[in-house]
Amino acid sequence: MATITAALSVSSDITTGFSINKTMTMTKAATNNGLERTSGIQRKYLTAANEVDLIQGAAGVVADMTVSATASAAKIYIKYIESDTSKYITLSFGNQSGGASLTANDSNGAHMEIGRLYGDDWMIIPWDGTSATGDICVLPSVATAAEPAIIEYIVFFD
Amino acid sequence: MATTTASITLASSDLLTDELSLSATKTLHKAGSTVGLDQTTGMTKAYLTATTQVDIFPTLIEGSLAFAGKSSWVYISNESEDETEYVIVKVSGNVIGKLYAGDFLWMPWSMAEDADSDNKHADIQLTPSVATGMWLQWCMVNEGTEYPTSV
Repeated sequence: MATITAALSVSSDITTGFSINKTMTMTKAATNNGLERTSGIQRKYLTAANEVDLIQGAAGVVADMTVSATASAAKIYIKYIESDTSKYITLSFGNQSGGASLTANDSNGAHMEIGRLYGDDWMIIPWDGTSATGDICVLPSVATAAEPAIIEYIVFFD
Repeated sequence: MATTTASITLASSDLLTDELSLSATKTLHKAGSTVGLDQTTGMTKAYLTATTQVDIFPTLIEGSLAFAGKSSWVYISNESEDETEYVIVKVSGNVIGKLYAGDFLWMPWSMAEDADSDNKHADIQLTPSVATGMWLQWCMVNEGTEYPTSV
């Protein structure tokens, strides 16, 4: 059993006293036993501005992940490695379009945009990953062979 | 201009052969700019006592798509101390994952047009696993808040 921690700190002068300081120890679903598997830190270079799978659920990038609609406690960290803060990647769940536009949003489960990571933004979320609709897709605003969009991620899973 | 800075450290001394230590820090900006985000919902502390799915930012989205193309960051934390309890997090009906006791998420959020005439607008939805009471916290740091006109 491993011990993996994620410590988040958010400070702001938006309003008096606003701050977040939270540390979680990543555990397997419904237990106090630590997650013990990982994809390792990955870097993906995208050379075209098309929506593609970044992380596939089920038999995808993390093929030995225990995928269960009722018991999955996976966590994913994603960072867009880019110094230009006008560039962004759009993250979504579901079926990739493969083209220059996102698959249309569908509130019934086929695809949904989550949000954008601008240059050097990062995020950490839990991940269900139970089927193709749990795939994490990404569409860079700009990506060429000369200037690829570089995305760093790591998955911790049951 | 406000300055909001988010930092994270992922660490483990026994997951891999060598120690894992990964840190990142970022100042939160308005979309495509270097101007700091300047609005927030403030931190909500809620005690949910049903397994009914709830929409955690309803007043900010109904009747307005002012968030479209804007930058928003969302924090959600499951404050339960019972390791078997979780909350399912969805965006407009699409499951992101489960936050078990002590878990949190920090993610960007895009408002979206109503995709299926169901008025979901990329709603962030939480569904507790138990009806015996579960503490949760959430907040959003964002730009472009526009509230619906009162009736």
